Amino acid sequence: MSWLKQLFSRRRLYADLAQEIREHLEEKTEELVKSGLSRKDAESAARRELGNLTLTEENARDVWRWPTIEDFLSDIRYGLRMLRNNPGFAIVSILTLALGIGANTAIFSVIDSILLRPLPYADSANLVMVWENNSRHPNPHNTVSPPDFLDWDKRNTVFSGMAAMVDQRANLTGNGPPQEVVRQAVTANFFSVLGVNPLLGAGFTAENNQPGHDNVAILSYGFWKERFGSDSSIVGKTIVLNGHPLTVVGVAPESFYWFIKDGSLTGAKPQMWSPWIIPEEYHDRKNVGRFMTVVARLKPGATVQQAQTQMNTIAAQIEQEYPDFNGYWGANVVPVRMQISGDLRPALWILFGAVGFVLLIACANVSSLLLARAAAREREMAIRTAIGASSWRIACQLLAESVLLAVAGGGIGVTLAIWGTNALLAASPRNLLDLRSVAIDMRILAFAIGSTLVAGLLFGFLPSFISAHLGLSETLKEGGLRSSAGRRRGILRSAFVVVQMCLALVLLAGSGLLMRSFIRLVGVDPGFDSNHLLTFKVNLPFSKYGTDPKCLAFFQELLSRLSHLPGVRSATMNSFPPFSGLGAATGVRILSQPSLSRSDLPVAAVRVVGPDYFHAMGIPLRVGRTFNAQELAEPRHVVIINQAFADKYLPDVNPLGQKVVIYMKSNTESENTPSEVIGVVSDVRHMGLETPESPTVYWPHPELVYSAMTILVRTANDPLALVTAARNELQQMDPEQPMAAIATMDQLLGDSLSRSRFTMMLLAIFAGIALLLAAVGIYGVIAYGVTQRIQEFGIRMALGAGRRDILRLVLRQGTRLALLGVGLGAISALTLSKFLATLLYEVSATDPWTFAGTALLLIFVSLAASWIPAHRATRVDPLVALRYE
Amino acid sequence: MMILRTLKHQPLHGYALAQYIKRTSNDLLRIEEGSLYPALQRLLKEDLVKAEWSVSSTNRRVRIYRVTAKGAKHLEGEVSRFERMFEGIMRVLARGES
Repeated sequence: MSWLKQLFSRRRLYADLAQEIREHLEEKTEELVKSGLSRKDAESAARRELGNLTLTEENARDVWRWPTIEDFLSDIRYGLRMLRNNPGFAIVSILTLALGIGANTAIFSVIDSILLRPLPYADSANLVMVWENNSRHPNPHNTVSPPDFLDWDKRNTVFSGMAAMVDQRANLTGNGPPQEVVRQAVTANFFSVLGVNPLLGAGFTAENNQPGHDNVAILSYGFWKERFGSDSSIVGKTIVLNGHPLTVVGVAPESFYWFIKDGSLTGAKPQMWSPWIIPEEYHDRKNVGRFMTVVARLKPGATVQQAQTQMNTIAAQIEQEYPDFNGYWGANVVPVRMQISGDLRPALWILFGAVGFVLLIACANVSSLLLARAAAREREMAIRTAIGASSWRIACQLLAESVLLAVAGGGIGVTLAIWGTNALLAASPRNLLDLRSVAIDMRILAFAIGSTLVAGLLFGFLPSFISAHLGLSETLKEGGLRSSAGRRRGILRSAFVVVQMCLALVLLAGSGLLMRSFIRLVGVDPGFDSNHLLTFKVNLPFSKYGTDPKCLAFFQELLSRLSHLPGVRSATMNSFPPFSGLGAATGVRILSQPSLSRSDLPVAAVRVVGPDYFHAMGIPLRVGRTFNAQELAEPRHVVIINQAFADKYLPDVNPLGQKVVIYMKSNTESENTPSEVIGVVSDVRHMGLETPESPTVYWPHPELVYSAMTILVRTANDPLALVTAARNELQQMDPEQPMAAIATMDQLLGDSLSRSRFTMMLLAIFAGIALLLAAVGIYGVIAYGVTQRIQEFGIRMALGAGRRDILRLVLRQGTRLALLGVGLGAISALTLSKFLATLLYEVSATDPWTFAGTALLLIFVSLAASWIPAHRATRVDPLVALRYE
Repeated sequence: MMILRTLKHQPLHGYALAQYIKRTSNDLLRIEEGSLYPALQRLLKEDLVKAEWSVSSTNRRVRIYRVTAKGAKHLEGEVSRFERMFEGIMRVLARGES
């Protein structure tokens, strides 16, 4: 009989077998009857001799089966039937698990995308950023000066290649409306250092390093798709940037993602790259400051540590050779992965921990539920063992049930995760997670499956199995609910509840701390009025506006036109407005103070502003005056400082009238005319609400004519309503001049808070889920305890106990669990909260109010959850309770 | 092997088979009657016997097992193997005694 035939005729085989065995029994009985026994005795004797009938039949059947698979399948079928018969339990468990697994998978996929997935560069572990770092004004990611870059490149033996980049905004005209694009000017070896080959075209060649042959460009994939409709014949075509024609020689691959925010002068992702030859005059340290970003590839076998050591040596050499320009300047080697994800790490790992807690709580809940059901099934298990099931088979059965739950929960969870992660990304502000999307890939699925199985095994199966091992006869004799194994189970469940409470408190405390911190942060005064403020950037190309007067005139006219628009209160501008994440700083020599070497000079941030800036921005003037009309028309060498500057560098002195040399235009003494301080204004939180303002000086536009400025328009109503009108004015002045980075100041402020808000909200959501699950957990245990003790309550009430007394009895159990859980939780939270410290603003990681508050909340919720079954206990009719079995 | 031998001699049903083995071995071999059925099913699966329902001498509906050709051949092989093993053992024992 082939196995296929066997499969189909199995039913008949089994039927035959069953009949056969029955006949055997009959025959034997007959024989015994013939030999003199009574029918009944004969039957029992026959059965005894034949052995365990069911087992025999099963063993005989086993011959025809594929035992493992079939057992497994039947276990699954049985499990499904169990779940169908207990839909409430099934739904609750599956949803609980789904929540836990889903949340974990979502967070893990984000972590994977940011921290774990290989970066889209060849051998990305060998790529490092090299920054400068001033030991007196530490900024570990300080941009690099061209002469330093060239010297590093020449002197090092640890890098196989070093490339430099500068972000610029430029105007693209032709093939459509004028658009401001972010162009990254790079040394021609940039793509080969990164190890990236273009998708189309040949990319940069050595020839592009020659002057005159550098008018080429490589487009980013996204930009190519967006602006040129993925035109496959783009290579060789010409585009016009700032009036200069460039030939397209390549398109970067779709997966190529390159955005180093630190040091970027635009703060935006590059949309195209073009070669940049460092001009001769930039080889001299006298002529140029620090503005480049440097990336390097380690030679095979070299480590980051070795590179750092060598760069330290080289930087020290340079410091000795050029004390004026390089005094106190060192180098800082940072692996690219660290650069990209570094400051996200703490928040991500905290969220991962939080979500792990949620999963644990969820599993504890399901465990508890399973244990409760195990009690009800004690009889069933005992009978099965009596019939002949081995421990192994029972274990497999329980395992199958847990696996079913886990798989169902995991399946739903992963779906939730996929939907949730993308919803998360859509909802989170654009600058938070620079991810296009988080793809659920193999690694993440493996993680989800792994956590599902662990959850299922550990928390579904083990407790049930442990509790299923019981004395056979005791169970069959005792009323199932009051067995000793039941007591064991009760303790387990209580333990679970305490653990749940503990974890929930940790999460609640954490999210409470973050909330307090966030509230503090939001309450910080930015130092200016951020309402109804429209901002956008205008970048004038050199080809059209190559001279200072032309730039000056353009901006003056633009501001004048804008301020006359209906709905506009005032219009002004700033080279680096607050919350833009950008800025420039340099050394400042105060002439009235003892002379210092160039490298020892105090450092101040430099901003170039338009007319009426302080008034329009709502920045109070402390002393002195603001710029007058003449100073706003031509360079008059005046400067306004902020309070921080006055406090730090001009303490105990009247700042007005002081003369300062600001080394912004050149590094040479003679080319920097001293400016006179004419006023002091209040501090503004420039970088973010949590960063106190550093000393800043403000120049009027004519003093240093930047061709790229951010326009700020104070409006009467919604700022965005004015965008079209503003664009009209701009285009009337120059139809090829685009407007870029349009945003309201409130949006920018909001963006700067986005990370804190996001982390806080996520943690709050997890804490909420944890609280809910813990409440369900404690409800379950108390409710179960009540059913167990119903007889006892009946007796008490019959003996004269009142409703209140019963209530108190039940609540006592709940309170005990809650207090234990909260106590443990408080201790754990206090130990763990220090990990949160980096995310907190002006709130201590052991803030007593938060801890007290969340502890009280948890106790209150636990009591409320316990109250429901307690209340039910008091409503029991004593007579019914006494008869309860 | 013993089942095959018995059945070759005379096709029987389960109960009769058990009785026969008990009788002919003079009660030296008391097999657990329950283990008979799994063994019979194994033989059935391997196509060494075939079974059919019929009526026994005592008017009961019983399932008679009959050895197939493949079964007979298998039995020969088993018996010869057993005899060889037996001879080997005897030789060793005899050798040991002298």
